[in-house]
This record gives sequence, C-alpha cells and structure tokens, in this order.
Amino acid sequence: MLKKSPVENLFSRKKKQCPFIAAGIRHVDYKDIELLSRFITERGKILPRRITGISFDFQRKLCLAIKRARHMALLPFVSEE
Amino acid sequence: MEKKQTEHLYEGMYILSASLSDDARQKALDRIITGITKRGGELCKTFDLGRKKLAYEINKKRDGYYVLLYFKVVTNAITEMWREYHLNEDLLRFITLRTETVPEKIEFKPLPEQ
Repeated sequence: MLKKSPVENLFSRKKKQCPFIAAGIRHVDYKDIELLSRFITERGKILPRRITGISFDFQRKLCLAIKRARHMALLPFVSEE
Repeated sequence: MEKKQTEHLYEGMYILSASLSDDARQKALDRIITGITKRGGELCKTFDLGRKKLAYEINKKRDGYYVLLYFKVVTNAITEMWREYHLNEDLLRFITLRTETVPEKIEFKPLPEQ
C-alpha cells in the first residue's frame, strides 16, 4: 500500500457523515426546537455545513425549518447576550 | 368548465395572545375553527401546546398561547383564511403548511450525539 506523505496526512481528514442521514431522519420539523437549536450559534445564526457536516440537501431543509421556527417565535432571529 | 378543487391536508400553528382569559381564548380559537369549517373544511386534530415564552416580543407581548391544528380544506380557501387571520387581533402569528399525515402526538426522535 502506498504510504501518504506527512504533508498529505496533514490535509487528509476523515470525511464527516451527515448527522441526519446517520440518524435516519427524513423530515426536519420546524417544531423540533431541541434539534434545531443544535445547529445555530449562541447569537442565533445558522451554522455553516462545513462545521456541522450536514449534507447539502439536509442543510437546505434545516435552513427552511429554522426560518419557520423563527417566524413562529420558537427561535430568536438575534439573541442578545 | 369549472375546475374541480382538490382538498389537501394542512397543518396550522397559531399563536394566540396569552393575556386573554380562558373564555376569550376559546372564542378566538372557535373563530379560527369556524373559518375552516364554513369553507367546507374538516378539522382532523387539535393540539393544545400551551403557554410558551416567545423568543422575541410580538406586539409588545412576551408570552403566547400555541395551538396546532390539522385540517382538510380546498386550496383556494387558504388565501381567504389568511386574509381573515390578519384582521384577527387576538392572533399574534400563524403558519399554514401542507402535510401528508396527522401525527398521533407531537414528539421527536433525538439526534444521537457525535
């Protein structure tokens, strides 16, 4: 087997798996505040998927769910510290 | 030829003013329900989610009373209902979405920790 050079090792990270696919969730509900609040910052911003490892499809679904939850005052638009 | 309207299942979440008395709240909810039934709709299920703290102030109110309704109604009735909701002062916020099924109870599967 070909051994990776030290430089290559630095940049090759283990690929994250989408947490939604791993858990077998098919629909992201805007009422599930506990789940949605795991993907927003303390300020209330939506976390980018490069940090959370969510797949493109689910990031779009999550984004819509968070925006619906914000409209219904379940999540803040901006939270003050 | 008149086009036949199709009926769909909808999910509606409503935030009623928490400052209302129990009777007044029931009256406000009945007004929403009659808005559905008078347009030929059918109410499938009601979930009383109770009083909750709002994430931000709406009309200078910090609390709201959440109600979730599942109903079947024709598509055109939805826009008429929305127009009516905007005139309802007891209703702070509302959302109406198409759904496929009526859940037995509101609970969610936890996402495993990574």
